Amino acid sequence: MPDELILDKEHLTGFLRKIAKERELVAPVKNSHGDTLFEVVSSVDDISLDLESKPVMPAKNFFLPRTETLFHYQRKGKQYLFKEVLPEVPRVLFGLRSCDLWAILFLDVVFQENFKDRYYLNRRSDTVLINIGCREPMRNCFCKSAKSGPFLTQGYDLQLTDLGDRFFVEIGRPRGRELVEKWDYFFRPATNRDRDEQYEIVLEAESRFERIVDFDTAISRFINNEVDDALWEELGNRCQGCGGCAYVCPTCYCFNIVDRPDSETEGQRLRIHDACTLAGFTRLAGGHNPRHERSRRVRRRFYHKLPFAQEKYHRPSCVGCGRCVEICFGRVDMIHFIRMVCERPEKSKEASLRLGEILVRAGVISTEELKIALEKQDRTGKLLGTQLIEDGLATGKEIAFALGRQLGIPETVGTGGVVGR
Amino acid sequence: MHRVLTTCCFCACGCNLYLEVEAEKIVGVIPSREHPIARGNLCLKGWNSSEFVHHKDRLRYPLIRKNGRLVKASWEEALDLVAKKLSDIKERYGAECLGVLSSAKCTNEENYLLMKFARAVLKTNNVDHCARLCHSPSVIGLSNAFGSAAMTNAISELAGAEVILVTGSNTTEQHPQIARFIFDALARGAKLIVVDPRRILLSRFAHVYLQPRLGTDVIWLNGMMKIILEEGLFDDAFIEMRTENFRAFSEMLRSFDLKHVQAISGIPVEDLRRAARTYASVKRAMIIYSMGITQHISGTDNVQSIANMAMLTGHVEQECTGVGPLRGQNNVQGACDMGALPGTLSGYQSVADEGIRKKFERVWKTDLPTAPGLTATDMFHGTGDKKIQAMFIMGENPALSHPDLKTTRAALQALEFVAVSDIFLTETAEFADVVLPAASFAEKDGTFTSTERRIQRIRKAISPVGTSKPDWQIIRELSSRMNCPMDYESPAEIMEEIAMLTPIYGGVYYDRLERGWGLFWPCPNRDHPGTPFLHKGSFARGKGRFEYISYRPPAEIPDDAYPFYLTTGRIYEHWHTGSMTRRITALSREQPEAFVEINPKDAKRLGVANAKPVRVVSRRGEITVKARFTDDVPEKTVFIPFHFREAPANILTHGHCDPGAKIPEFKVCAVRLEPVQ
Amino acid sequence: MEDRAQILRKMVANIYHPHSASIQGVKEETRDIKTLTLVFKDQEIQDHFTFQPGQFVLVSVFNCGEAPISISSSPTFSEGLQLSIKKMGLLTGEIHRYTEGEEVGLRGPYGNGFPLDELCGHNLLFVGGGIGLAPLRSLIQYVFSKRSEFGRVTVLYGARTPRDIVFKDDLAAWGREKDVKVLTTVYRDNPEWKGEVGPLSPLLEKAAISPSNTKAIICGHPAIISYVIFDLLKMGFAEDEIISTLERNMKCGVGKCGHCSIGSKFTCMHGPVFTYRQIKEFPSVL
Repeated sequence: MPDELILDKEHLTGFLRKIAKERELVAPVKNSHGDTLFEVVSSVDDISLDLESKPVMPAKNFFLPRTETLFHYQRKGKQYLFKEVLPEVPRVLFGLRSCDLWAILFLDVVFQENFKDRYYLNRRSDTVLINIGCREPMRNCFCKSAKSGPFLTQGYDLQLTDLGDRFFVEIGRPRGRELVEKWDYFFRPATNRDRDEQYEIVLEAESRFERIVDFDTAISRFINNEVDDALWEELGNRCQGCGGCAYVCPTCYCFNIVDRPDSETEGQRLRIHDACTLAGFTRLAGGHNPRHERSRRVRRRFYHKLPFAQEKYHRPSCVGCGRCVEICFGRVDMIHFIRMVCERPEKSKEASLRLGEILVRAGVISTEELKIALEKQDRTGKLLGTQLIEDGLATGKEIAFALGRQLGIPETVGTGGVVGR
Repeated sequence: MHRVLTTCCFCACGCNLYLEVEAEKIVGVIPSREHPIARGNLCLKGWNSSEFVHHKDRLRYPLIRKNGRLVKASWEEALDLVAKKLSDIKERYGAECLGVLSSAKCTNEENYLLMKFARAVLKTNNVDHCARLCHSPSVIGLSNAFGSAAMTNAISELAGAEVILVTGSNTTEQHPQIARFIFDALARGAKLIVVDPRRILLSRFAHVYLQPRLGTDVIWLNGMMKIILEEGLFDDAFIEMRTENFRAFSEMLRSFDLKHVQAISGIPVEDLRRAARTYASVKRAMIIYSMGITQHISGTDNVQSIANMAMLTGHVEQECTGVGPLRGQNNVQGACDMGALPGTLSGYQSVADEGIRKKFERVWKTDLPTAPGLTATDMFHGTGDKKIQAMFIMGENPALSHPDLKTTRAALQALEFVAVSDIFLTETAEFADVVLPAASFAEKDGTFTSTERRIQRIRKAISPVGTSKPDWQIIRELSSRMNCPMDYESPAEIMEEIAMLTPIYGGVYYDRLERGWGLFWPCPNRDHPGTPFLHKGSFARGKGRFEYISYRPPAEIPDDAYPFYLTTGRIYEHWHTGSMTRRITALSREQPEAFVEINPKDAKRLGVANAKPVRVVSRRGEITVKARFTDDVPEKTVFIPFHFREAPANILTHGHCDPGAKIPEFKVCAVRLEPVQ
Repeated sequence: MEDRAQILRKMVANIYHPHSASIQGVKEETRDIKTLTLVFKDQEIQDHFTFQPGQFVLVSVFNCGEAPISISSSPTFSEGLQLSIKKMGLLTGEIHRYTEGEEVGLRGPYGNGFPLDELCGHNLLFVGGGIGLAPLRSLIQYVFSKRSEFGRVTVLYGARTPRDIVFKDDLAAWGREKDVKVLTTVYRDNPEWKGEVGPLSPLLEKAAISPSNTKAIICGHPAIISYVIFDLLKMGFAEDEIISTLERNMKCGVGKCGHCSIGSKFTCMHGPVFTYRQIKEFPSVL
């Protein structure tokens, strides 16, 4: 079977019907309210397949559900028992946008590296991914800048291109080939004309992107610490802490693990999507939060998506789907962020702060009080911290924290990682 | 897995979302992208709105108090007992000694039915709900001025305004999706004026930010209008054609001395002048206000002053121009619309009007009480001879949400009989003699009316948890036990009756609600498309009426013994008494405990440390909460959210009310702070 | 060997799945700290469970979820795994109510642990504050079980009051070892207290610490750490020779959930043990 085939559109339903007999079929469906969502298709006849628009949510939820049960637990007398729940569904995801498919490949790496995540991998292991290339960028799309679309060169099982009356089908991974070989009578080999036509469409699609998002500049400025605090401050103010950006992002995978009691003797351990823009994400049991300020959390988010992912995976963990752009209340999204960073003049290197200044900035003492303490210190020869404590202007704890900041020690150092919590 | 479109159960933005259902469990929430308010996103509460539904604390069967303890009972037993007790007490004390609290969390159909139950079955007008505690002044104030008491415009019109004045509304926290439209307007170049005693997040984006002292709204509003008048920035054509009583009003206003502005409200006149010029010099300006305006003993005055200012500048009656009281609860607009108020039947039709009464009596096939009913605050804080002996409370939690909790709880305790229907055993339910387990928003059909008067469907996604029942079925069962059978099969059938009796809902039918995104009332008949903005061409009352308002200070202001202003309110992550949000992982993790916002300068003087407990004491009581330093509150002012049962802010607040609207002054009282060793 | 590989596979087949362990002993260290001795119910797991000092386990408590707790016993201790737990919130409060025979869930061990190879052959300075002595105890006990491989040992310990001192017997026992100095101080004393009073830093001088061929391992409240590191640097300790631990909110323990990230590292995998140089170089607010 050649690598490039043609599927006439009139055969699409028939092909999907065959697939759906053996696997759970998931496809973008426009519902009666006008929203397009990835739905589990129980009958190919009563749905309106929507291959034209971007589904509201990415496909990650099929592998990493919003809420999933990791196991059931039970208490019997003094015993504490666990009952594993490991899902396994043979599935085909049809009509993925290229960006969404690319995102799944990204998640594959995360959940396979080091410790294997059985929940994700079980759901993922028997899944066929079929994407459809985008002939035209949709609103807020920038997959071209993110190098994850509009068409893929690898990673898919099958990739479709809409050629008007027919689909051009490229076979990628073996699972795609298996599927096509099994139902080969729906397909015919592509001709050179088909190939040329498809190639033109790809070129045309790539040329239509208006949004050019300069990931490289943004990442390099970020790494070199050239993004000034005022920008983070502004983004921190604009972020409403809804968590939406993480929930809709196809590559955001951070999660929380919690117990949901069902009764006095039974319950479930759940895994729930989490969002790093929330304060509770990093707050410690004792109440201290290393990322207390929203600006820090926003900064962390972009750090994770850009330099962190670049360092670890050699690409940003943004696929340019534009969903965060679409939904963010305060425009704290990837496009606006990168634009702000790139347009910003370089910041002047900040001189390292002295202890007194740190205390003033933290609101512990006023400039006036600092002045007086410094003068007094001249006479007594004591350390500034000691002087301030003696004068009752600061507590030992406050001095310690300021000292820690001056030494570049996070406020969570030294507590045994995990001591006694 | 399948998905069910419904309306969010938290605030009155009215976002539509999909509940993801797998094996009778809700596993996720997805916002609708096409919905004009949701627009593909939700606030943190919305994104997590389903988690409480399956919480182990859900009430799964009825409870009856036996030997002082609430014990499991059958529905038969519980309903029989409620019916019997209500009948007995009515027999012994008279119908005016029964009180009914309806719920802004329940559907329109349930509110209508409970209002009907109170009036047609119990024969009392003592029916009210929590709108008393939020927008009752808007109902009166805007009715006086405009003739209709709701947001004059659709939410989306905010995006098209040139100037937006936000006062007494922490919009980004309390109506996040509405704030999103404000951000849209800003992106298009609109100017923002924020007037708030707390330096709320929106103030960071404001072109003019004014920080008045608590309870001085009439002063700055009068000052602003005086400046507009002096500088000739008013709209004389509009005033001439559309309003009345301007002459008297303007004469009084001219005698208002601008010197008072700085002295009383603390706002520099020059800043106010900038705000006045910004607001008055454009064509399309909107005012957004909320509890910061209404929860005062001068709440109605404040609202009327806002109406005055909108009329003075001609900023009503057009698209993207008007006055927007932002309603709090998901269906507080609807609960008012449905007549869960002591003075009005559904659609604000007065119980005092014999013709109206006749209309309802014909359909309900019974005669209706004429005596005016008691408000929710009077049921607990009222004095006088009409003492409430028994209450039926549906989905409300006065034992945490009402002011001066000691008094409120004592009143609850003193009742001979209380029945509560709710989804959790709330603080109020703990006082109950019978607790009926109700179904949550995810377990029933119905409609909610959002703050923009948009009537939208909620849809049943799963079967009621345990043996719980939707409230409309509970009321139906009770009613039939009290010899007034209600044979509604579905909420749709109830809505048909509502449409028949309620002119503003005249064209609201379920089949119409399936198409598009709900209907805006007034929608008088089946062919009417609904009304996104009110007062087009003329005010609902004919001409808009100016009324000069004189300043009245708050009922309790700081003195030597209680030197701090206390103001209370909500925070982003929690909803009212927290019965739902505190049972949601992400939300309770975000804000696990009560706190008091205090200015660091004050804290330092008091010797209070950040994140350490501090005792807050008022004349009514005291609570201990953790201090949270922020200069978002001015000196000598502290803020405490009222969500937390273990440190209820309303222990501190007082029961003084606006004389007309009967809204308590949640926003101002005097306290002192003591560090806890 | 194959047998062991198979058991290890069993232990990590599902990384989120805890293994039941029963409480063999409860020791009340202070009014709010208890040390539990735990044994896995599955004999194979119990027999093959190994860890390094400084590593932690995730402890599941019925209906309360999971929390990371560092191991306070030495890998050479044969009677089970010891965890010293301070009562902080819901989970730790619940576990404090547990008695012998009751079960918790355990998974792990996680984290990098102390760099034993690098410590080998050096003099060791341990500075611990409060419950921070727990992970240090694991290492100290280990050092004593391989005494000849290490140089002089100094243990400086600070607690809030005499009543808050943990591992009292251990502290006394260590002091009796050869080439070991143990100094304990309290911030607030009581009439019975005969020892040092005041902050930890002055003890450095008192113990006559020399930076040469010495590694400092510090664990305790951040406020103490800052002072101690400041003093150690002044005394001439190199940044690489100061070893401490970081505390972050942890959920999965295996570098996936994202909660404990700092810079491009995960505290649960690359930490919690870091040198001061590493700590200093983390992007300050990330």
